[in-house]
Amino acid sequence: MIHGVKIISYGMPKDYSKKRGDISKSVGYSYIGAMSPMKKESAFLHLPTYIAGLSYHIGTFLSLFLFVFFIPGIYPTGLVALIISIILLISGISGFGILIKRISKDQLRSLSNPDDYISNILVTLIQLMTAVVLYIPQSASYYFILISIFFLYLPIGKLKHVVYFFAARYHLGFFYGWRGVWPPKQG
Amino acid sequence: MENLTKETIDKGLEVLDTKNDGKLLTHLNSCVHCGLCADSCTYYRANPEAKYIPATKVDLVASIYRKYQTFGGKAFPKIVGARTLNEETTKEMVDLLFGACTMCARCVSHCSIGVDITYVIKKGREMLSNMGMIPETLQSTINSAIESGNNMSISEKDFVETLEWLEEDLQFEVDDDDAKIYLDQKGKDILYTLNPREPKFFPLSISAMAKVFHVAGESWTISTKMYDVTNYAYYSGNYEEAAIITQRLYDEAENLESKKVVLAECGHGSRAFRWEGPNYIKKEYPFDVITSVELLASYLNEGRIKVDPNKIPEKVTLHDPCNLARSGGIWKEQRYILNECVSDFVEMTPHGIDNLCCGGGGGQLAMSEYNDRRMAIGEIKAEQIRATGAKIVATPCHNCVDQLSQLNVTFKLGIKIMTLGEIVADAIVMENEK
Repeated sequence: MIHGVKIISYGMPKDYSKKRGDISKSVGYSYIGAMSPMKKESAFLHLPTYIAGLSYHIGTFLSLFLFVFFIPGIYPTGLVALIISIILLISGISGFGILIKRISKDQLRSLSNPDDYISNILVTLIQLMTAVVLYIPQSASYYFILISIFFLYLPIGKLKHVVYFFAARYHLGFFYGWRGVWPPKQG
Repeated sequence: MENLTKETIDKGLEVLDTKNDGKLLTHLNSCVHCGLCADSCTYYRANPEAKYIPATKVDLVASIYRKYQTFGGKAFPKIVGARTLNEETTKEMVDLLFGACTMCARCVSHCSIGVDITYVIKKGREMLSNMGMIPETLQSTINSAIESGNNMSISEKDFVETLEWLEEDLQFEVDDDDAKIYLDQKGKDILYTLNPREPKFFPLSISAMAKVFHVAGESWTISTKMYDVTNYAYYSGNYEEAAIITQRLYDEAENLESKKVVLAECGHGSRAFRWEGPNYIKKEYPFDVITSVELLASYLNEGRIKVDPNKIPEKVTLHDPCNLARSGGIWKEQRYILNECVSDFVEMTPHGIDNLCCGGGGGQLAMSEYNDRRMAIGEIKAEQIRATGAKIVATPCHNCVDQLSQLNVTFKLGIKIMTLGEIVADAIVMENEK
């Protein structure tokens, strides 16, 4: 929240140049069209990583969503619990795969700092622990310890990109929209 | 590199103060080190080392920001990868931010998060500029512009003489003794700018545009005092010097009471004056600013000039300058022009806003110490051109013309490089030809 407030309250420098494009369309494109895997080399040249990343983030948001229900002690059961567990298992494996990639690739390792590993391990564990809690409610205390650590660490390391990602897409959309680059013209 | 004083370091760190700049705050905190931007960078493609990954370059700046501006960086620097601004990091910054980035911004649109990598690189260059660490070769180009009024230090006398013989050439070419290259004329609709490479090395590109203006019946003039569209201080990150150069052109447009400033075929010059310039001098322009590419397209679209594509039967391809297309939104216009003016136009792959940089941007042409890297990344462009089978490469940027000319020789491409103005001038149908 602190980071979100900072982004908004700091504002952005005034642009004195003459606007050429449509900012709202460009910002919309930045969040949707520009994120299409077909538009990004970072996606279409690395499809396994892209799919793993997508799955990992779905699992993360699902875990955070479930956390809201776990606080008052509401735990899904039956088929819902089974589906959620499968999703979280797949996302957890994806997170683990991304971690292995970071460890095993020389160049990625050289780009990484301890925060990259800590963040990955923490989030992967939360996803898996969320699935465990659904079937073993007695483990809830361990789950809450883990998620407390997660929330304490969140504003310190790279996990804060949960806020900055959306701000980055907005600023990029604004920048390209101002100059009429995005959305790309047809023809 | 000499020992850095506290004062020097503080000057560098001033740039990273994110108060009142949520955009900077955002982009310094967004990179997740996925490394997937690597393939989008021609430096990495030419030499796949970790240091050339755009994320590495971003992290050079962001790690210093973390060290001085964040709780995590102050309390747990090793965990979050926070680095001190010192001789070692400064040396790395000079080498990678100046010497291994053309600021082409291709990595930006491919970044999985949306980090404006070029914006961060520019901030890094601004830090180095504040610390007095701009490469001397780049700074000397800026000094020439500040001291002489143009980055090639062409004297006014030489410039005027060049334009006088170009005017004679124009009169012969269009068979009209009244054809003029108007100098310092007040109240004309258009103030036309030039890249100083034109009067120095490529005068025919001036006469080509003069021919187009003549046939279109345009009201135009060139200033002999301030015609330089370039602004290498955009590359150096010294925005005080960038403001001086911008202000000169602004003042000249006001002095000559021009309605519109038309920016010559120069990618970074277009960007620096049209998009960055108003922010350097902190005011809006009272006149319109467009690129000559947009102007040429409008002449064709409005029927002010007639062209015959059969006059250029060779296969032609197009190189999009990064600052014009990807960072300026001008990519459709040049295609319209070529489709009208040549009979066999073929695209490179990729092209448009996804085009690969030729290697001449980012001030690289001025920084001769990085020539080997520049030519190495240029080979990717050379192969891209070769794959089209084109005999002519059109590009609306004189820095790109220069780089492509060197690639042509080095990689034996056997091509002719032309500006769009030259293409249009060659394709023009004169009144007496109809």
